[in-house]
Amino acid sequence: MKHSVLSRRIVNPALLLAPMVLLLAGFLVVPVLGLLRSSFLPGSHLLEGGGFSLQQYIRFFSDSYYSSVLLETFIDGFAVSLICLLVGFPVGYSLARLPPLERRWRTIIAIMPLTLSLVVIVFGWLIVLGRNGVVNSLFISLGIFSSPKQFLFTRPAVLLVLVQQFVPFMILSVMSVVTQIHPVLEQAAANLRANRFTTFRRIIIPLAVPGILVGFNLVFVLSISAFVTPRLVGGARIAMLGSLIYERIMSELNWPSGAAMAFVLFVSGFGFTAAINALIASRLIAGGKRYAV
Amino acid sequence: MRSDFIDDAMAASGALIRAIVYTMLALPAVLVIALSFTSGDTMNFPPTGFSLRWYQKAWENELFVTALWTSTYVAVLVAIIALVIGFAGAFAMNRCSFAGKTFLQGLAFSPLIVPAVVLGIGLLQLFVWLGLTQTIYPLIIGHLVLAVPYVVRTILASLSLHDQLLEQAAMNLRAPPLQVIRRITLPLILPGLLSAAIFAFVTSFGNVTVSMFLTYGGNVTLPVQIFAYVDTSYDPLVAAVSSIMIIVTLIVILTIERLIGAERLA
Repeated sequence: MKHSVLSRRIVNPALLLAPMVLLLAGFLVVPVLGLLRSSFLPGSHLLEGGGFSLQQYIRFFSDSYYSSVLLETFIDGFAVSLICLLVGFPVGYSLARLPPLERRWRTIIAIMPLTLSLVVIVFGWLIVLGRNGVVNSLFISLGIFSSPKQFLFTRPAVLLVLVQQFVPFMILSVMSVVTQIHPVLEQAAANLRANRFTTFRRIIIPLAVPGILVGFNLVFVLSISAFVTPRLVGGARIAMLGSLIYERIMSELNWPSGAAMAFVLFVSGFGFTAAINALIASRLIAGGKRYAV
Repeated sequence: MRSDFIDDAMAASGALIRAIVYTMLALPAVLVIALSFTSGDTMNFPPTGFSLRWYQKAWENELFVTALWTSTYVAVLVAIIALVIGFAGAFAMNRCSFAGKTFLQGLAFSPLIVPAVVLGIGLLQLFVWLGLTQTIYPLIIGHLVLAVPYVVRTILASLSLHDQLLEQAAMNLRAPPLQVIRRITLPLILPGLLSAAIFAFVTSFGNVTVSMFLTYGGNVTLPVQIFAYVDTSYDPLVAAVSSIMIIVTLIVILTIERLIGAERLA
Protein backbone atom coordinates (compact mmCIF):
# COMPACT_ATOMS: atom_id res chain seq x y z
CA MET A 1 0.00 0.00 0.00
CA LYS A 2 1.51 3.26 -1.11
CA HIS A 3 -0.16 5.72 1.17
CA SER A 4 -1.03 5.30 4.78
CA VAL A 5 -4.43 4.85 6.32
CA LEU A 6 -3.63 7.69 8.66
CA SER A 7 -3.90 10.49 6.19
CA ARG A 8 -7.19 9.36 4.70
CA ARG A 9 -8.85 9.28 8.07
CA ILE A 10 -7.98 12.82 9.08
CA VAL A 11 -8.68 15.30 6.37
CA ASN A 12 -8.98 15.75 2.72
CA PRO A 13 -5.51 16.22 1.16
CA ALA A 14 -6.90 19.15 -0.79
CA LEU A 15 -7.39 21.02 2.49
CA LEU A 16 -3.82 20.32 3.55
CA LEU A 17 -2.44 21.46 0.24
CA ALA A 18 -4.66 24.52 -0.13
CA PRO A 19 -2.52 27.05 1.83
CA MET A 20 0.63 26.14 -0.07
CA VAL A 21 -1.08 26.17 -3.46
CA LEU A 22 -2.81 29.48 -2.73
CA LEU A 23 0.44 31.06 -1.59
CA LEU A 24 2.39 29.96 -4.65
CA ALA A 25 -0.41 30.63 -7.12
CA GLY A 26 -1.19 34.05 -5.70
CA PHE A 27 2.31 35.27 -5.01
CA LEU A 28 4.49 33.43 -7.48
CA VAL A 29 2.42 32.60 -10.56
CA VAL A 30 0.24 35.72 -10.55
CA PRO A 31 3.15 38.19 -10.13
CA VAL A 32 5.13 36.51 -12.89
CA LEU A 33 2.11 36.61 -15.21
CA GLY A 34 1.42 40.21 -14.21
CA LEU A 35 4.96 41.11 -15.13
CA LEU A 36 4.52 39.37 -18.47
CA ARG A 37 1.45 41.50 -19.09
CA SER A 38 3.31 44.73 -18.25
CA SER A 39 6.08 43.84 -20.64
CA PHE A 40 3.58 44.19 -23.51
CA LEU A 41 2.52 47.70 -22.51
CA PRO A 42 3.54 50.54 -24.76
CA GLY A 43 5.16 53.66 -23.36
CA SER A 44 7.85 54.03 -20.78
CA HIS A 45 6.46 54.78 -17.35
CA LEU A 46 3.03 54.05 -16.14
CA LEU A 47 1.57 50.76 -15.14
CA GLU A 48 -1.90 52.13 -15.68
CA GLY A 49 -3.45 52.32 -19.05
CA GLY A 50 -3.90 49.50 -21.45
CA GLY A 51 -2.81 48.55 -24.84
CA PHE A 52 -0.76 45.77 -26.24
CA SER A 53 2.43 46.18 -28.15
CA LEU A 54 5.71 44.49 -28.78
CA GLN A 55 7.45 47.83 -28.54
CA GLN A 56 9.59 46.94 -25.50
CA TYR A 57 10.88 43.72 -27.00
CA ILE A 58 11.52 45.32 -30.39
CA ARG A 59 13.45 48.12 -28.74
CA PHE A 60 15.47 45.64 -26.68
CA PHE A 61 16.53 43.53 -29.62
CA SER A 62 17.12 46.37 -32.05
CA ASP A 63 19.41 48.31 -29.73
CA SER A 64 22.90 46.88 -29.97
CA TYR A 65 23.72 48.02 -26.43
CA TYR A 66 21.16 45.63 -24.94
CA SER A 67 22.16 42.74 -27.17
CA SER A 68 25.77 43.20 -26.15
CA VAL A 69 24.82 43.28 -22.45
CA LEU A 70 22.70 40.16 -22.93
CA LEU A 71 25.56 38.39 -24.68
CA GLU A 72 28.04 39.55 -22.05
CA THR A 73 25.73 38.34 -19.28
CA PHE A 74 25.48 34.91 -20.90
CA ILE A 75 29.23 34.67 -21.42
CA ASP A 76 29.77 35.64 -17.78
CA GLY A 77 27.18 33.12 -16.62
CA PHE A 78 28.75 30.40 -18.71
CA ALA A 79 32.24 31.24 -17.47
CA VAL A 80 31.08 31.24 -13.84
CA SER A 81 29.35 27.86 -14.29
CA LEU A 82 32.40 26.37 -15.98
CA ILE A 83 34.79 27.63 -13.28
CA CYS A 84 32.39 26.37 -10.60
CA LEU A 85 32.41 22.96 -12.29
CA LEU A 86 36.21 22.83 -12.56
CA VAL A 87 36.90 23.86 -8.97
CA GLY A 88 33.73 22.46 -7.40
CA PHE A 89 34.02 18.94 -8.79
CA PRO A 90 37.20 17.94 -6.88
CA VAL A 91 35.71 19.32 -3.68
CA GLY A 92 32.34 17.61 -4.11
CA TYR A 93 34.02 14.35 -5.06
CA SER A 94 36.33 14.36 -2.05
CA LEU A 95 33.45 15.27 0.29
CA ALA A 96 31.50 12.27 -0.96
CA ARG A 97 34.42 9.91 -0.34
CA LEU A 98 35.52 11.27 3.05
CA PRO A 99 34.58 9.55 6.30
CA PRO A 100 31.75 11.41 8.11
CA LEU A 101 33.94 12.90 10.84
CA GLU A 102 36.33 14.60 8.45
CA ARG A 103 33.45 15.64 6.27
CA ARG A 104 31.67 17.59 8.97
CA TRP A 105 33.59 20.88 9.07
CA ARG A 106 34.29 20.87 5.38
CA THR A 107 30.58 20.59 4.62
CA ILE A 108 29.82 23.41 7.01
CA ILE A 109 32.35 25.67 5.24
CA ALA A 110 30.88 24.67 1.89
CA ILE A 111 27.34 25.47 2.99
CA MET A 112 28.14 28.74 4.74
CA PRO A 113 27.87 30.97 1.62
CA LEU A 114 24.42 29.54 0.86
CA THR A 115 22.97 30.52 4.21
CA LEU A 116 24.94 33.69 4.84
CA SER A 117 23.39 36.86 3.52
CA LEU A 118 24.65 37.82 0.08
CA VAL A 119 25.47 41.39 1.14
CA VAL A 120 27.77 40.12 3.88
CA ILE A 121 29.68 37.96 1.40
CA VAL A 122 30.00 40.82 -1.06
CA PHE A 123 31.10 43.14 1.71
CA GLY A 124 33.78 40.59 2.69
CA TRP A 125 35.08 40.65 -0.87
CA LEU A 126 35.17 44.44 -0.87
CA ILE A 127 37.57 44.13 2.06
CA VAL A 128 39.66 41.58 0.18
CA LEU A 129 39.81 43.39 -3.16
CA GLY A 130 39.55 47.04 -2.14
CA ARG A 131 42.21 49.64 -2.78
CA ASN A 132 43.54 49.31 0.76
CA GLY A 133 42.32 45.74 0.96
CA VAL A 134 43.96 42.51 1.90
CA VAL A 135 45.38 41.60 -1.51
CA ASN A 136 46.88 45.03 -2.13
CA SER A 137 48.44 45.44 1.30
CA LEU A 138 49.80 41.89 1.22
CA PHE A 139 51.37 42.28 -2.21
CA ILE A 140 52.77 45.72 -1.45
CA SER A 141 54.38 44.56 1.79
CA LEU A 142 55.87 41.62 -0.11
CA GLY A 143 57.20 44.07 -2.67
CA ILE A 144 55.30 42.56 -5.60
CA PHE A 145 53.25 45.69 -6.30
CA SER A 146 54.71 49.16 -5.92
CA SER A 147 51.33 50.88 -5.69
CA PRO A 148 47.78 49.58 -5.01
CA LYS A 149 46.08 48.02 -8.00
CA GLN A 150 42.44 48.39 -8.97
CA PHE A 151 40.64 45.06 -8.53
CA LEU A 152 37.16 46.27 -7.74
CA PHE A 153 34.98 47.42 -10.62
CA THR A 154 36.58 44.92 -12.99
CA ARG A 155 34.93 41.97 -14.65
CA PRO A 156 37.29 39.29 -13.20
CA ALA A 157 36.39 40.52 -9.70
CA VAL A 158 32.68 40.13 -10.45
CA LEU A 159 33.28 36.61 -11.79
CA LEU A 160 35.37 35.67 -8.73
CA VAL A 161 32.67 36.78 -6.30
CA LEU A 162 29.94 35.04 -8.31
CA VAL A 163 31.99 31.82 -8.30
CA GLN A 164 32.42 32.00 -4.55
CA GLN A 165 28.69 32.55 -4.04
CA PHE A 166 27.50 29.77 -6.28
CA VAL A 167 30.21 27.08 -6.13
CA PRO A 168 28.46 25.49 -3.10
CA PHE A 169 25.57 24.49 -5.37
CA MET A 170 28.01 22.68 -7.64
CA ILE A 171 29.85 21.07 -4.71
CA LEU A 172 26.61 19.78 -3.20
CA SER A 173 25.16 18.40 -6.43
CA VAL A 174 28.42 16.66 -7.33
CA MET A 175 28.65 15.33 -3.78
CA SER A 176 25.17 13.88 -3.83
CA VAL A 177 25.66 12.13 -7.17
CA VAL A 178 29.14 10.78 -6.34
CA THR A 179 27.81 9.35 -3.07
CA GLN A 180 25.66 7.10 -5.22
CA ILE A 181 28.56 5.85 -7.37
CA HIS A 182 29.81 2.73 -5.66
CA PRO A 183 33.56 2.80 -4.89
CA VAL A 184 33.72 -0.82 -6.14
CA LEU A 185 33.43 0.52 -9.69
CA GLU A 186 36.59 2.57 -9.23
CA GLN A 187 38.39 -0.40 -7.71
CA ALA A 188 37.35 -2.58 -10.63
CA ALA A 189 38.70 0.00 -13.08
CA ALA A 190 41.97 0.13 -11.15
CA ASN A 191 42.18 -3.66 -11.25
CA LEU A 192 41.85 -3.44 -15.00
CA ARG A 193 44.92 -1.21 -14.96
CA ALA A 194 43.15 2.04 -15.58
CA ASN A 195 44.98 4.94 -14.02
CA ARG A 196 43.07 7.59 -12.06
CA PHE A 197 42.60 9.80 -15.05
CA THR A 198 41.10 7.02 -17.17
CA THR A 199 38.88 5.95 -14.29
CA PHE A 200 37.84 9.52 -13.85
CA ARG A 201 37.11 10.05 -17.53
CA ARG A 202 35.44 6.72 -18.28
CA ILE A 203 33.71 5.85 -14.99
CA ILE A 204 33.20 8.84 -12.72
CA ILE A 205 32.33 11.57 -15.22
CA PRO A 206 29.71 9.62 -17.20
CA LEU A 207 28.00 8.47 -14.01
CA ALA A 208 28.17 11.94 -12.46
CA VAL A 209 26.67 13.75 -15.45
CA PRO A 210 23.20 14.17 -13.89
CA GLY A 211 24.68 15.87 -10.81
CA ILE A 212 27.01 17.98 -12.92
CA LEU A 213 24.10 19.15 -15.06
CA VAL A 214 21.95 20.05 -12.04
CA GLY A 215 24.82 22.07 -10.58
CA PHE A 216 25.69 23.69 -13.89
CA ASN A 217 22.13 24.78 -14.65
CA LEU A 218 21.59 26.13 -11.17
CA VAL A 219 24.81 28.14 -11.18
CA PHE A 220 24.10 29.43 -14.68
CA VAL A 221 20.56 30.60 -13.95
CA LEU A 222 21.65 32.22 -10.68
CA SER A 223 24.66 33.96 -12.25
CA ILE A 224 22.84 35.49 -15.20
CA SER A 225 20.17 36.94 -12.91
CA ALA A 226 22.62 38.27 -10.32
CA PHE A 227 22.33 41.98 -9.70
CA VAL A 228 23.62 42.72 -6.22
CA THR A 229 27.14 41.47 -6.95
CA PRO A 230 27.56 43.20 -10.35
CA ARG A 231 26.31 46.42 -8.80
CA LEU A 232 28.50 46.43 -5.68
CA VAL A 233 31.61 44.70 -7.02
CA GLY A 234 31.34 45.76 -10.66
CA GLY A 235 30.01 49.27 -10.20
CA ALA A 236 28.46 51.22 -13.04
CA ARG A 237 30.99 50.11 -15.62
CA ILE A 238 30.28 46.38 -15.54
CA ALA A 239 26.79 45.95 -16.92
CA MET A 240 24.96 42.70 -16.41
CA LEU A 241 21.33 42.28 -17.35
CA GLY A 242 20.21 41.84 -13.74
CA SER A 243 21.65 45.15 -12.60
CA LEU A 244 20.27 46.85 -15.72
CA ILE A 245 16.76 45.62 -14.85
CA TYR A 246 17.17 46.83 -11.29
CA GLU A 247 18.22 50.30 -12.48
CA ARG A 248 15.46 50.45 -15.06
CA ILE A 249 12.73 49.75 -12.56
CA MET A 250 13.98 51.15 -9.27
CA SER A 251 15.69 54.32 -10.56
CA GLU A 252 14.01 55.11 -13.87
CA LEU A 253 10.64 53.63 -12.89
CA ASN A 254 10.29 52.38 -16.45
CA TRP A 255 8.17 49.31 -15.71
CA PRO A 256 7.27 48.06 -19.18
CA SER A 257 10.87 48.12 -20.32
CA GLY A 258 12.18 46.52 -17.11
CA ALA A 259 9.49 43.84 -17.25
CA ALA A 260 10.38 43.01 -20.85
CA MET A 261 14.06 42.74 -19.94
CA ALA A 262 13.22 40.50 -16.99
CA PHE A 263 11.32 38.20 -19.31
CA VAL A 264 14.07 38.12 -21.89
CA LEU A 265 16.39 37.08 -19.06
CA PHE A 266 13.99 34.48 -17.67
CA VAL A 267 13.13 32.85 -21.00
CA SER A 268 16.57 32.95 -22.58
CA GLY A 269 18.14 31.53 -19.41
CA PHE A 270 15.72 28.63 -19.50
CA GLY A 271 16.19 28.14 -23.22
CA PHE A 272 19.94 28.03 -22.84
CA THR A 273 19.97 25.48 -20.01
CA ALA A 274 17.38 23.35 -21.83
CA ALA A 275 19.57 23.39 -24.96
CA ILE A 276 22.65 22.34 -23.00
CA ASN A 277 20.73 19.54 -21.31
CA ALA A 278 19.36 18.26 -24.61
CA LEU A 279 22.79 18.40 -26.22
CA ILE A 280 24.46 16.46 -23.42
CA ALA A 281 21.61 13.95 -23.21
CA SER A 282 21.90 13.21 -26.95
CA ARG A 283 25.68 12.88 -26.63
CA LEU A 284 25.25 10.46 -23.77
CA ILE A 285 22.75 8.36 -25.67
CA ALA A 286 25.01 8.30 -28.72
CA GLY A 287 27.98 7.37 -26.51
CA GLY A 288 25.95 4.69 -24.79
CA LYS A 289 25.03 3.14 -28.14
CA ARG A 290 28.68 2.98 -29.09
CA TYR A 291 29.52 0.96 -26.00
CA ALA A 292 26.35 -1.08 -26.06
CA VAL A 293 27.19 -2.86 -29.29
CA MET B 1 52.40 -0.97 -13.66
CA ARG B 2 49.77 1.69 -13.53
CA SER B 3 51.06 5.09 -14.50
CA ASP B 4 51.96 6.65 -11.18
CA PHE B 5 52.81 10.03 -12.60
CA ILE B 6 49.24 10.73 -13.72
CA ASP B 7 47.90 9.49 -10.40
CA ASP B 8 50.25 11.74 -8.45
CA ALA B 9 49.53 14.74 -10.66
CA MET B 10 45.79 14.29 -10.21
CA ALA B 11 46.08 13.84 -6.45
CA ALA B 12 48.28 16.93 -6.16
CA SER B 13 46.08 19.17 -8.31
CA GLY B 14 42.98 17.93 -6.48
CA ALA B 15 44.51 18.78 -3.12
CA LEU B 16 45.58 22.21 -4.39
CA ILE B 17 42.13 23.03 -5.78
CA ARG B 18 40.47 21.90 -2.55
CA ALA B 19 42.78 24.11 -0.48
CA ILE B 20 42.03 27.11 -2.71
CA VAL B 21 38.26 26.51 -2.69
CA TYR B 22 37.98 26.13 1.09
CA THR B 23 40.11 29.26 1.59
CA MET B 24 37.98 31.17 -0.91
CA LEU B 25 34.75 30.05 0.74
CA ALA B 26 35.81 30.99 4.26
CA LEU B 27 37.83 34.12 3.44
CA PRO B 28 35.13 36.85 3.30
CA ALA B 29 33.47 35.80 6.56
CA VAL B 30 36.78 35.45 8.42
CA LEU B 31 38.02 38.84 7.26
CA VAL B 32 34.77 40.62 8.09
CA ILE B 33 34.97 39.30 11.64
CA ALA B 34 38.67 40.17 11.91
CA LEU B 35 38.12 43.75 10.76
CA SER B 36 35.08 44.33 12.94
CA PHE B 37 37.39 44.43 15.99
CA THR B 38 39.64 47.14 14.59
CA SER B 39 40.21 50.22 16.67
CA GLY B 40 41.02 52.31 13.59
CA ASP B 41 38.58 54.31 11.48
CA THR B 42 39.17 52.65 8.14
CA MET B 43 38.70 49.27 6.50
CA ASN B 44 42.44 49.06 5.84
CA PHE B 45 44.10 45.74 6.30
CA PRO B 46 45.66 44.62 8.63
CA PRO B 47 43.36 46.06 11.33
CA THR B 48 44.98 48.44 13.77
CA GLY B 49 44.54 47.41 17.39
CA PHE B 50 41.63 45.68 19.06
CA SER B 51 38.44 47.30 20.28
CA LEU B 52 34.73 46.74 20.52
CA ARG B 53 33.93 50.32 19.64
CA TRP B 54 32.37 49.53 16.26
CA TYR B 55 29.99 47.11 17.93
CA GLN B 56 29.07 49.86 20.35
CA LYS B 57 28.55 52.27 17.44
CA ALA B 58 26.42 49.72 15.63
CA TRP B 59 24.31 49.29 18.72
CA GLU B 60 23.87 53.07 18.95
CA ASN B 61 22.97 53.37 15.25
CA GLU B 62 19.22 53.58 15.11
CA LEU B 63 18.97 52.56 11.44
CA PHE B 64 20.76 49.28 11.97
CA VAL B 65 19.08 48.43 15.26
CA THR B 66 15.62 49.07 13.82
CA ALA B 67 16.53 46.99 10.77
CA LEU B 68 17.76 44.16 13.00
CA TRP B 69 14.42 44.06 14.81
CA THR B 70 12.46 44.23 11.56
CA SER B 71 14.51 41.34 10.16
CA THR B 72 14.10 39.26 13.28
CA TYR B 73 10.38 39.92 13.50
CA VAL B 74 9.78 39.08 9.84
CA ALA B 75 12.01 35.99 9.97
CA VAL B 76 10.30 34.56 13.08
CA LEU B 77 6.87 35.10 11.56
CA VAL B 78 7.98 33.59 8.25
CA ALA B 79 9.46 30.55 10.01
CA ILE B 80 6.23 29.83 11.89
CA ILE B 81 3.88 30.34 8.94
CA ALA B 82 6.13 28.50 6.48
CA LEU B 83 6.38 25.58 8.87
CA VAL B 84 2.59 25.24 9.15
CA ILE B 85 1.96 25.66 5.42
CA GLY B 86 4.92 23.49 4.47
CA PHE B 87 4.11 20.69 6.89
CA ALA B 88 0.52 20.46 5.70
CA GLY B 89 1.64 20.41 2.07
CA ALA B 90 4.47 17.94 2.59
CA PHE B 91 2.25 15.63 4.64
CA ALA B 92 -0.38 15.54 1.92
CA MET B 93 2.23 15.02 -0.80
CA ASN B 94 3.93 12.23 1.12
CA ARG B 95 0.91 10.32 2.39
CA CYS B 96 -1.78 10.77 -0.21
CA SER B 97 -1.96 9.97 -3.86
CA PHE B 98 -3.94 12.33 -6.03
CA ALA B 99 -4.04 13.60 -9.56
CA GLY B 100 -1.53 16.29 -10.45
CA LYS B 101 0.90 15.39 -7.69
CA THR B 102 3.98 15.77 -9.88
CA PHE B 103 2.73 19.15 -11.05
CA LEU B 104 2.25 20.23 -7.43
CA GLN B 105 5.74 19.12 -6.48
CA GLY B 106 7.08 21.12 -9.40
CA LEU B 107 5.09 24.13 -8.23
CA ALA B 108 6.35 23.71 -4.67
CA PHE B 109 9.96 23.85 -5.80
CA SER B 110 9.54 26.46 -8.54
CA PRO B 111 10.49 29.50 -6.39
CA LEU B 112 14.01 28.08 -6.49
CA ILE B 113 14.31 28.54 -10.24
CA VAL B 114 12.51 31.84 -10.79
CA PRO B 115 15.24 34.52 -10.80
CA ALA B 116 15.02 36.69 -7.68
CA VAL B 117 14.83 39.86 -9.75
CA VAL B 118 11.81 38.51 -11.65
CA LEU B 119 10.03 37.47 -8.46
CA GLY B 120 10.97 40.72 -6.74
CA ILE B 121 9.63 43.10 -9.36
CA GLY B 122 6.64 40.86 -10.06
CA LEU B 123 5.65 40.99 -6.39
CA LEU B 124 6.32 44.71 -6.19
CA GLN B 125 3.99 45.31 -9.12
CA LEU B 126 1.30 43.13 -7.54
CA PHE B 127 1.54 44.94 -4.22
CA VAL B 128 1.48 48.36 -5.89
CA TRP B 129 -1.71 47.24 -7.56
CA LEU B 130 -3.13 45.96 -4.26
CA GLY B 131 -2.10 49.20 -2.54
CA LEU B 132 -0.11 47.35 0.13
CA THR B 133 3.39 48.67 -0.50
CA GLN B 134 3.47 50.75 2.68
CA THR B 135 2.93 47.70 4.90
CA ILE B 136 5.04 44.81 6.10
CA TYR B 137 2.95 42.19 4.23
CA PRO B 138 5.00 42.28 1.00
CA LEU B 139 8.14 41.32 2.92
CA ILE B 140 6.45 38.52 4.84
CA ILE B 141 4.73 37.10 1.77
CA GLY B 142 7.81 37.39 -0.44
CA HIS B 143 9.93 35.57 2.13
CA LEU B 144 7.24 32.92 2.58
CA VAL B 145 7.36 32.15 -1.15
CA LEU B 146 11.14 31.74 -0.87
CA ALA B 147 11.07 29.69 2.33
CA VAL B 148 8.24 27.24 1.61
CA PRO B 149 10.22 25.10 -0.92
CA TYR B 150 13.00 24.52 1.62
CA VAL B 151 10.50 23.66 4.32
CA VAL B 152 8.57 21.26 2.06
CA ARG B 153 11.77 19.57 0.94
CA THR B 154 13.17 19.13 4.45
CA ILE B 155 9.90 17.79 5.85
CA LEU B 156 9.29 15.54 2.82
CA ALA B 157 12.69 13.96 3.41
CA SER B 158 11.92 13.44 7.12
CA LEU B 159 8.51 11.96 6.36
CA SER B 160 9.81 9.50 3.82
CA LEU B 161 12.67 8.43 6.09
CA HIS B 162 10.67 7.54 9.17
CA ASP B 163 8.94 4.25 9.65
CA GLN B 164 5.23 4.34 8.93
CA LEU B 165 4.77 1.00 10.73
CA LEU B 166 4.90 2.91 14.00
CA GLU B 167 1.85 4.92 12.98
CA GLN B 168 0.03 1.81 11.86
CA ALA B 169 0.84 0.10 15.14
CA ALA B 170 -0.57 3.06 17.06
CA MET B 171 -3.72 2.94 14.97
CA ASN B 172 -4.04 -0.77 15.54
CA LEU B 173 -4.08 0.08 19.19
CA ARG B 174 -7.05 2.29 18.38
CA ALA B 175 -5.39 5.63 18.89
CA PRO B 176 -7.43 8.35 17.19
CA PRO B 177 -5.67 9.82 14.11
CA LEU B 178 -4.92 13.23 15.58
CA GLN B 179 -3.39 11.57 18.60
CA VAL B 180 -1.23 9.45 16.29
CA ILE B 181 0.01 12.56 14.56
CA ARG B 182 0.66 14.32 17.84
CA ARG B 183 2.23 11.42 19.74
CA ILE B 184 3.96 9.46 16.96
CA THR B 185 4.47 11.36 13.71
CA LEU B 186 5.43 14.80 15.00
CA PRO B 187 7.93 13.59 17.63
CA LEU B 188 9.54 11.29 15.06
CA ILE B 189 10.10 14.04 12.54
CA LEU B 190 10.84 16.73 15.13
CA PRO B 191 14.46 17.23 14.01
CA GLY B 192 13.23 17.75 10.44
CA LEU B 193 10.55 20.18 11.60
CA LEU B 194 13.00 22.22 13.65
CA SER B 195 15.51 22.29 10.82
CA ALA B 196 12.83 23.39 8.39
CA ALA B 197 11.77 26.23 10.67
CA ILE B 198 15.34 27.35 11.25
CA PHE B 199 15.97 27.14 7.53
CA ALA B 200 12.96 29.33 6.83
CA PHE B 201 14.23 31.75 9.46
CA VAL B 202 17.66 32.10 7.91
CA THR B 203 16.27 32.31 4.36
CA SER B 204 14.20 35.28 5.43
CA PHE B 205 16.81 36.79 7.73
CA GLY B 206 19.55 36.89 5.11
CA ASN B 207 17.58 37.62 1.96
CA VAL B 208 18.45 40.76 0.06
CA THR B 209 17.63 40.09 -3.58
CA VAL B 210 13.86 39.94 -3.12
CA SER B 211 13.63 42.10 0.02
CA MET B 212 15.18 45.01 -1.82
CA PHE B 213 12.05 45.42 -3.92
CA LEU B 214 9.62 44.95 -1.03
CA THR B 215 10.92 47.23 1.70
CA TYR B 216 9.78 50.79 2.20
CA GLY B 217 11.01 53.62 4.41
CA GLY B 218 9.75 52.23 7.71
CA ASN B 219 10.45 48.55 7.19
CA VAL B 220 14.00 48.05 6.00
CA THR B 221 15.55 44.68 6.80
CA LEU B 222 19.12 44.35 7.98
CA PRO B 223 20.61 43.02 4.68
CA VAL B 224 18.88 45.79 2.70
CA GLN B 225 20.19 48.35 5.18
CA ILE B 226 23.70 46.94 4.80
CA PHE B 227 23.33 47.09 1.00
CA ALA B 228 22.20 50.72 1.11
CA TYR B 229 25.11 51.58 3.40
CA VAL B 230 27.77 49.71 1.41
CA ASP B 231 26.44 51.15 -1.85
CA THR B 232 27.60 54.61 -0.82
CA SER B 233 30.43 54.12 1.67
CA TYR B 234 31.86 51.55 3.93
CA ASP B 235 33.53 51.60 7.30
CA PRO B 236 34.06 49.12 10.17
CA LEU B 237 30.51 49.79 11.37
CA VAL B 238 29.23 47.53 8.59
CA ALA B 239 31.84 44.95 9.53
CA ALA B 240 30.44 44.82 13.05
CA VAL B 241 26.85 44.49 11.79
CA SER B 242 27.91 41.85 9.25
CA SER B 243 29.77 39.91 11.95
CA ILE B 244 26.54 39.68 13.91
CA MET B 245 24.86 38.21 10.82
CA ILE B 246 27.72 35.73 10.36
CA ILE B 247 27.46 34.57 13.97
CA VAL B 248 23.68 34.12 13.69
CA THR B 249 24.11 32.14 10.47
CA LEU B 250 26.86 29.99 11.95
CA ILE B 251 24.74 29.15 14.99
CA VAL B 252 21.90 28.22 12.64
CA ILE B 253 24.07 25.93 10.50
CA LEU B 254 25.55 24.21 13.54
CA THR B 255 22.09 23.67 15.02
CA ILE B 256 20.72 22.13 11.83
CA GLU B 257 23.85 20.03 11.49
CA ARG B 258 23.23 18.64 14.98
CA LEU B 259 19.60 17.97 14.16
CA ILE B 260 19.66 16.33 10.76
CA GLY B 261 23.26 16.36 9.50
CA ALA B 262 24.85 18.95 7.27
CA GLU B 263 24.44 17.02 4.02
CA ARG B 264 20.71 17.49 4.02
CA LEU B 265 20.96 21.22 4.45
CA ALA B 266 21.16 22.16 0.84
